[in-house]
Amino acid sequence: MIKGTCWVADDYVMAYDIIVSEYWTSAIDPIENSKMVMAGVKEEFNKENAFKDRGHTFIVANHNFAGGGKSIEHVITGLMGAGIQAVFATSFARLQFRNAINYGLPFITSDDNMHVGCETGDELEYHADKGIIKNITKGTEFTSVPVAPFVSEVSEAGGLMNFVREKLAKGQPIE
Amino acid sequence: MGMTITEKIMARSSGRDKVIPGELVWTDINSVMTMDFLGKQCFDKFRSLGKTEVFDKNKVICVSDHLVPPPTQKFANMLNEWREVVKQHDITNFYDLGRQGIAHQIMVEQGHVLPGTISIGTDSHANTYGAVGAVGNAIGVTDAAVAMATGKAWFRIPKAVKFNITGKWQPWVMAKDLSLHIMGMVHWNGHLLYKTLEFTGPAISSLSMAGRMTLCNMTVDLGAKNGIVAPDVVTERYLRRRTTDEWDFLNSDEDAEYDMVYDIDISDLAPTIALPGKLDDTVTVDKLIGKKFNKAFVGTCTNGRLEDIAIMAEIMKDKQVHRDVNMILVPASQTVYLEALQAGHLETLIKAGVAIDTPSCASCAGLHTGVAGDGDIVLSAGNRNMTGRMGSRLAQVYLTSPSVVAASAIRGEITDPRTFDI
Repeated sequence: MIKGTCWVADDYVMAYDIIVSEYWTSAIDPIENSKMVMAGVKEEFNKENAFKDRGHTFIVANHNFAGGGKSIEHVITGLMGAGIQAVFATSFARLQFRNAINYGLPFITSDDNMHVGCETGDELEYHADKGIIKNITKGTEFTSVPVAPFVSEVSEAGGLMNFVREKLAKGQPIE
Repeated sequence: MGMTITEKIMARSSGRDKVIPGELVWTDINSVMTMDFLGKQCFDKFRSLGKTEVFDKNKVICVSDHLVPPPTQKFANMLNEWREVVKQHDITNFYDLGRQGIAHQIMVEQGHVLPGTISIGTDSHANTYGAVGAVGNAIGVTDAAVAMATGKAWFRIPKAVKFNITGKWQPWVMAKDLSLHIMGMVHWNGHLLYKTLEFTGPAISSLSMAGRMTLCNMTVDLGAKNGIVAPDVVTERYLRRRTTDEWDFLNSDEDAEYDMVYDIDISDLAPTIALPGKLDDTVTVDKLIGKKFNKAFVGTCTNGRLEDIAIMAEIMKDKQVHRDVNMILVPASQTVYLEALQAGHLETLIKAGVAIDTPSCASCAGLHTGVAGDGDIVLSAGNRNMTGRMGSRLAQVYLTSPSVVAASAIRGEITDPRTFDI
């Protein structure tokens, strides 16, 4: 179980705004990428560590979270570096959904009504085993789409790199 | 129940007879592309897997496109590191400055994408490869590193949506207009998310490879996993001089299952424009007639090909770009550049007052040549128009086809190429 507060996003949070173009050519590094994460989403996050310093554990979003078609992994490492341990959204853009799986960061497709049922600062509990998210502040509960076994395996290995590295080291086939 | 072309490709690439939507499989990869600003990180990650040699030196394709020629010392240093790491891994196909082009153009034009196979790239518009009947997919550096080491990538088999395109293409109406029309028609509502989009029908059969590339290119912007056109005689003619590898005419079964089928008649399709900010906020050109702008741009992996340049030259011949407009053309590759030169198009455009820059991604990603400044209004034949995409967050980007950009640049205001005196 993971517990912490959430930040509730508007609709259509673009990958472009999570990491603005100035930082696309940076090294992929959670600490470095987290400094200016969300800089383009809200003016208030457009200074060093502004989003990170809020100390949120979760993001609750609506449709097409991290959309706009950017494949850069800085988006995921930036969120992870800022302390985000899971993102709940009505839907995710596919490139970043894939990157999140590869990094073992839970991108959880949640109830359509979760986005309207949470406010920034609400305390949430995420029970990954049951796929349930409890809003402790409001006393409500939301369900989510079950996570595929492969996704859990990758997450348990600590990401795709570890997953593949272990298999290669043991001489196991990738299948 | 039959299979779609994408299911067939996924099945054969994973050594299965059949796959079903939702299933997760590891597939063989025909080629993996990476480029200058992410490539070094791919190789670093690849080595961290305990490997020193890539799975196939001929199938890891390296391209310099976002940073060349370097406009800053930072980019120059990044390029030097990139060249060093490519050399170190003895990569056969390295398209560096001088032989460069936008990676997706290079992949298809140089025959690194084969019908019936899967190619991946560390840039979102890798969907372009679907134009020759391949599954083209954008991935991050992690997937690229894994593919470099193993020749494999994981995929969830997508559900399919068919676009049956009928009717006759009208003069000056381009594949880009169809792309933008579909954006505006379907809207970004999540319906196409993770899906494979199959383009078929008489108006696709009659579409050039350049047009098919434009169409498949922008499927990523619809949220789809890939876009694909089954190989046909156009594909065969295009690939004949580009690859000696064998391939077959794979197509969807008659009884393949589709989540949705759209029928679109393009006979009365009008030139279409996406308004600044969102790709699915589109209007037909008549709604914007007379709208002033100060920058015009044609290039990118979406619309920087020979056909696009030819149509511009046809419209702009013996005319002058309006005094209030700066216009830049960036051919998609050195090959395109040379062909446009030999055909005389570049001379026509230079005489018309168009600045021509060496092939690169240019200002499309806001990183290079011709970025937008505060207050600029850009009429672009690129692929994205969100805030800050081409530079300043205070600039506005209208997206449209090369024919609309060309006609409008002459008048200095948005113009319908169909009513323009050519």
